[in-house]
Amino acid sequence: MELTIGHLYPDLLNLYGDRGNIRCLVKRAKWRGIDASVKEFQLHDSINFHELDIVLLGGGSDREERLVCDELTAIRDDFKEYVEQDGVVLAICGGYQLLGSYYQMGDEVLPGLGLVDLYTKQGEERLIGDIIIHSDLFPMPITGFENHGGRTYINNNKPLGKVYKGFGNTDARDYEGICYRNVIGTYLHGPLLPKNPMLCDYVLQKALERKYQKPITLEQLDDTAEQLANQYICERLH
Amino acid sequence: MSIRKHAAICCSKLANFICLKLGRQGVTWAGKIAITIYPDILKELASEVKKAIYVTCGTNGKTTTNNMLAAFLQSEGQRVICNSTGSNMLNGVISAFVLAADKKGHINADYACIEVDEASTLRVFPHFQPDYMILTNLFRDQLDRYGEIDITIELLNKALKMAPDCRIVVNADDVLSTALVHQSEHPAITYGIAEPCPDNPASTTEIREGQFCQLCGEKLEYHFYHFSQLGDYFCPSCGFKRPAIDYNADMISLRQGLSFTITNKDKTTASLHSNYRGFYNIYNILAAYSAAKAEGFSLKYINTVLEDFHPENGRMEQFSINGTNVLLNLAKNPAGFNQNISAVMEDTKEKNLIVVINDNSQDGHDISWLWDVDFERFADANIKRIIVSGLRAYDMALRFKYSDIACEAILSVEEAIKTMLDDNPDNLYILVNYTALFGTRKRLKNLEMEKK
Repeated sequence: MELTIGHLYPDLLNLYGDRGNIRCLVKRAKWRGIDASVKEFQLHDSINFHELDIVLLGGGSDREERLVCDELTAIRDDFKEYVEQDGVVLAICGGYQLLGSYYQMGDEVLPGLGLVDLYTKQGEERLIGDIIIHSDLFPMPITGFENHGGRTYINNNKPLGKVYKGFGNTDARDYEGICYRNVIGTYLHGPLLPKNPMLCDYVLQKALERKYQKPITLEQLDDTAEQLANQYICERLH
Repeated sequence: MSIRKHAAICCSKLANFICLKLGRQGVTWAGKIAITIYPDILKELASEVKKAIYVTCGTNGKTTTNNMLAAFLQSEGQRVICNSTGSNMLNGVISAFVLAADKKGHINADYACIEVDEASTLRVFPHFQPDYMILTNLFRDQLDRYGEIDITIELLNKALKMAPDCRIVVNADDVLSTALVHQSEHPAITYGIAEPCPDNPASTTEIREGQFCQLCGEKLEYHFYHFSQLGDYFCPSCGFKRPAIDYNADMISLRQGLSFTITNKDKTTASLHSNYRGFYNIYNILAAYSAAKAEGFSLKYINTVLEDFHPENGRMEQFSINGTNVLLNLAKNPAGFNQNISAVMEDTKEKNLIVVINDNSQDGHDISWLWDVDFERFADANIKRIIVSGLRAYDMALRFKYSDIACEAILSVEEAIKTMLDDNPDNLYILVNYTALFGTRKRLKNLEMEKK
């Protein structure tokens, strides 16, 4: 089996070790004999979403996100079609904000991709720190680090998980992230996937099932090292 | 002298003395005490510097550059005040001056060489405005503390407005630094490495900052990179490009320490040699050299100074323990770490490696930057055994796992060092981030004494 991962604008959206997520997807696929290749798209590149199985949208600085925003109108329709056809998307931090209809920074409103019914408003303080959430997708807690000025309101969508420690989508400390079809949006970096192998495998499985149109069970890997790093955070914040 | 000023200096010195006796670093505390008792202390003492005040800023290389500059100036017979331990926030700066004051509360110095944390410039510059600012480079660093790099640039911009007469000694190869100087319109002295260096084992996959023009937003183009975003850049849209280089290093050899030739802007040259490792240290030497040259010094004895330069602060510091040659170095952000990896690779001998990663406040709580470092390169660095240690040893172990490099995790640094030395390796490299530095260094120092 094989997978193609599209990494959108890595030159701009590459804060917080986003490369670790790509590396994690590729390695965990390869360790199971699945060939995963990565296509990087730079600003102004045309993107054929039909040849992608996973799309990764990372985080950037506010200045860099503005540069990306100008580009979004060009890809919005194709991206929307990909999402509605259950294309797998992992959007982190700034990328998560871009999924929504807009990001309001003071008087300025940056239009987003409008892929998911959510929006973001800039808050007073940045929300920074280690975070643990519980998702109903799998039993292992999801741990990471959040650092965002925006508060994201997800309307009636399903969140990725419930906040156990940390902030999450807003100051309310209730829910974190979003799950919409096969789109996962979250503020968690750390990077997200290496310490949360179950989430990585969930993304891989969804992508394979869509591509090969059949149920897929991924082979178990030895995740001792991953669990140690995940547990360390849980125990420290407990 | 006012009683308060006297009290400030005495209490501060006492605090520092007690800390030293207890084996702790006391400079920050000493500075805080001094300014609490006498708020004008820094302003008054700094105004007594006779010739010029240098401030060293930039993400990496501050401490080495600043200490080297102080050593260069001292070799020219100048009296210099320097915050040599690298305590570079307001309190550390204050204590550098206070601890140098005499009984009457005065300092006797021709120059001050003060490194200042970029985020602290706005707190330091109200007390004194430097005559020179050395700007070494700007890289992503501790994003949870400083925020995005654009925020650091904005801070420095504001700080420079407070010092309108300051001349900037700037790394011409760093587009983020030169764009900042271009926008601030301060007079600049530039240094750099004009041509590619074939000896430099640079990575081709590392994260590069500021790939889009700071002035017009267009994607920059490069004739070549030295490492990270340092190189020969130009903007195809607005024409912004690497400025002319006043002090240029060429004929670089990295085989036996660092050897290179500096061509000054008047076309005279100087051949330099240092036992330091690491291509990036050429920039540190160049920065210090250019800054001293700007004051008209000949630097005749520069090679002797470089040979004797052992600042003992955990920057490329060597220890000899039971026949093991130990090299300790600080690495606290992706650009710094990537350069450290290059330095380890420049040494082709077989070696063991310890990597210590903490996530205390001064390190930044966010350690995701580990994934922006090209640890994969260690696979080709002739390393026999790797131990990861520190508070975030498990994260570091994971980072190695996803690079297909085997390692063991031992959380206690002391235990990690002991385990490694039990192997009696010929060479041991220890790379640590900030808060791990002091403890690791102390431990190595003690071991070195014990085994002698």
